[in-house]
Amino acid sequence: MKRQIPILLAIGASLYPVVAFFVPTRGVTRFNQTLDEWMVIIASFALLLGIVSMIQVNLAKVRRRTSGWPFGLIVLVAFAIMAAFGVFGRQGARPDGGLYPFTWVFQFGFSPLQSTMFSVLAFYVASASYRAFRVRNVEATLLLIGALIIMIGRIPLGEMIHPVVPDVAEWIMKFPNTAAQRGVIIGAALGAAAMSIRVMVGIERPYLGKS
Amino acid sequence: MRVRGLPVALGIGAAVFGAAAPLPVRAEAALPIVLHVADTPSDDGSSLTLTWTPDPGLLPESLAEDAATEVRIERRAVADTAAFARVGRVPFRDGAFQDSGLEPRTAYVYRLALAAGAGDTLRSAAAAPATPRENLFRTQRVNALVITLLMTALVVGFILAAKRGVSLYIRRISGLDAIDEAVGRATEMGRKILYVPGIISVNEPQTLASLGILGYVAKLTARYGTELEVPNIDPLTMAAAREIVKEAYLEAGAPESFREASVHYLTADQFAYAAAVNGIMVRDKPAANFLIGWFAAESLLLSETGQSIGAIQIAGTAQVTQLPFFVAACDYTMLGEELFAASAYLSQDPLILGSIKGQDMMKAAILAVIVLGAILATAGVHGFADWFAAL
Amino acid sequence: MHWAKQLLLVDRRIIFLLVFLGALIPIIRPIGLGVQISPPVEAVFDAVERLRPGDAILLSFDYGPSDGPELDPMANAILRHCHKKGVKVVGISLFPLGGVDMGIARLNELATELQAQDGTDWVNLGYKDGGQAAMKAMGEDIAAVFPTDVNGVAYRDLPLTRDIRAYRDMKLAISLATSVLGEWWINLVNAQFGIPVAVGTTAVSAPRYYAYMEAQQAIGVIGGMKGASEYEELVERAYPELKGLSRTATMGMDVQSIVHVIIIFFILFGNLMFLLTRRVKEA
Repeated sequence: MKRQIPILLAIGASLYPVVAFFVPTRGVTRFNQTLDEWMVIIASFALLLGIVSMIQVNLAKVRRRTSGWPFGLIVLVAFAIMAAFGVFGRQGARPDGGLYPFTWVFQFGFSPLQSTMFSVLAFYVASASYRAFRVRNVEATLLLIGALIIMIGRIPLGEMIHPVVPDVAEWIMKFPNTAAQRGVIIGAALGAAAMSIRVMVGIERPYLGKS
Repeated sequence: MRVRGLPVALGIGAAVFGAAAPLPVRAEAALPIVLHVADTPSDDGSSLTLTWTPDPGLLPESLAEDAATEVRIERRAVADTAAFARVGRVPFRDGAFQDSGLEPRTAYVYRLALAAGAGDTLRSAAAAPATPRENLFRTQRVNALVITLLMTALVVGFILAAKRGVSLYIRRISGLDAIDEAVGRATEMGRKILYVPGIISVNEPQTLASLGILGYVAKLTARYGTELEVPNIDPLTMAAAREIVKEAYLEAGAPESFREASVHYLTADQFAYAAAVNGIMVRDKPAANFLIGWFAAESLLLSETGQSIGAIQIAGTAQVTQLPFFVAACDYTMLGEELFAASAYLSQDPLILGSIKGQDMMKAAILAVIVLGAILATAGVHGFADWFAAL
Repeated sequence: MHWAKQLLLVDRRIIFLLVFLGALIPIIRPIGLGVQISPPVEAVFDAVERLRPGDAILLSFDYGPSDGPELDPMANAILRHCHKKGVKVVGISLFPLGGVDMGIARLNELATELQAQDGTDWVNLGYKDGGQAAMKAMGEDIAAVFPTDVNGVAYRDLPLTRDIRAYRDMKLAISLATSVLGEWWINLVNAQFGIPVAVGTTAVSAPRYYAYMEAQQAIGVIGGMKGASEYEELVERAYPELKGLSRTATMGMDVQSIVHVIIIFFILFGNLMFLLTRRVKEA
């Protein structure tokens, strides 16, 4: 029974949205929306789990002074401060034109940090390209040529070299790129569908800790 | 007595004979259209569809074709004695309007009103009452139903064949073959294994597939006594991953080696998560990184940092935009559906192998349809492709 | 060790330094390179340009601060374009981590710049959780999903949204999206409700949307900072009176151009050293 109930729940919960996709009646649609709402509620409660885990792990790190423990302390302090700002304070602009602390920290702390992390990608792309784009074989050479054309064609330099360069870059994006992307998308979608069917018929049960 | 047609005819006359003035009507006159109201097909009974065509010759073409001419839709329930209420406004030349939010099995009556200029209004006669009804099936999705049933039949068919003992072959997937090598390397070096199950929740098939591989990796680490760390961005994934790792350690006969803190939550933010995982990589220098699941822009941040610390890296994702980054920075990359084949490949379970075969057959069917559709479309036959398009 | 092999193993920090200088110098000394327009961006521009004064569009801020450098300029250019056309903008956000703040920031900034009126020229309905569920529900009744705007004014009390019940009362939906949200707009909203959809997205995600464009499920794509600079150029060509307003993406293209050249140089240089090393090994 301990195993049967979760399996039956999983089968029911995964089949129902499929039925709702084809049947438009109010009752079916309403319950489908309810399932969506339950998903949001469960995710919100699961967040509590996550927060407890984060606090436990970082407290242990700080207590035991393991490698990188100052970062654990920063995590705990930052979490406490933002939680306090969020729970006890307000958000948005103050009547005097300033910002409430939560929004101030978001705008001047969190947002720049996010943008910075995203910007680091530019440096990593450069180092990864330098290391990975080697003419080891025919396929790698074709990949390299295509990448160079796209990179040149997407900047004004491309048109300065020759007006046809941006058109060639656009052609590569429209045809070989689209064809390859579609192939991978179709394959991945089929794989996901087969995986979902396995969960729906109860063969694959990751929710039971069974791989 | 109001002669409804006369003002319109006068207006047409004025237009024909070159008068530039708008339609010369009284404050309200008849709108010469044919208005038809019917139940919207394949819905939940809360919608009616109106269509109208101008009476030929009675409505100036300039009014009927002008993109700026708008018509107001007015509605009243048949049982209601109140006046008509306005429920929408669309260009007249659209010729159609769908009114929703109605009560099923309640009769409604509609009319249209058109502003003819200078405050004048042309109003149509009320159309015959119509009643929205709930439908049991979305007929425009019969194509999706056929495809779903076909795929299910293929998958279930091959699963049953596998159950009967038919031998099924799957080609080598180098990323999965390398798992044992990666775990062995970490064990020899005495360093940990870092497993990143993607950045999206457990309702995503890629995350489920990743958790399947995590179970296999955890069994190996339990057997060899290698440290495993699984940082998570999603609490639901963390809960599922914890259960899987715990179960794996139990199956490997080393339940006492399992530490709950090894599967932990970091943060819900994408880049904060990437920064935290990078920090773990740089400080703890894991010997093997598994980056398997649904990834976005942080894929290169993680894989390039892993590359810089000299870890062996096995990646797998179905996100086409991130595959190039993994291919460039990782030692092995599982592309798209290879990720979903992992549980079959690793377990060699006939039932799961059967589903992979069914999936492959479905792909063959899709290829045949694409080729046939391309030939037919080139020959000018579009109905075949159009059947797939309607949803 | 052969010098070519040593150069192949150059410390990545040298590459990082050169990229940093390549990004810094054009900011200090702008070059002012031209912008060439690509068909996917032109398609989005034309779709907005074909609208009439009074038409309404849905603009969904489905991105967070990390994507701001690429998507904020797109938002600015689209909002300026809509304002010049007299097109009304219904702003929403379905992205949980900062989407509503990006929307607030863009709309407020452009309201000051263009003297636009909140409630009449545009509205900001804020953020709603639920992703696809919210998208589906807006197909029937937007007010049920967004009962008020970010200032707490009821949906039905806003002059702009009074007559807008669902997608069918709007002419176009533009999603400025990161992650998978743009695809949900196409696969769900365009497919099921028929409203034309255009997507503005990061450069990394843009190639994915070409397939949707070819299948005519999306009318166009504005990809990355380059796409944003193209849209800025198109708006300025069509409305020269907007000259002088900030063109963040166009300025950023100088940086992108230089960094692209640096990366291309490193790739070619790396391959040259690779071939030299191979030749030495064979010898």
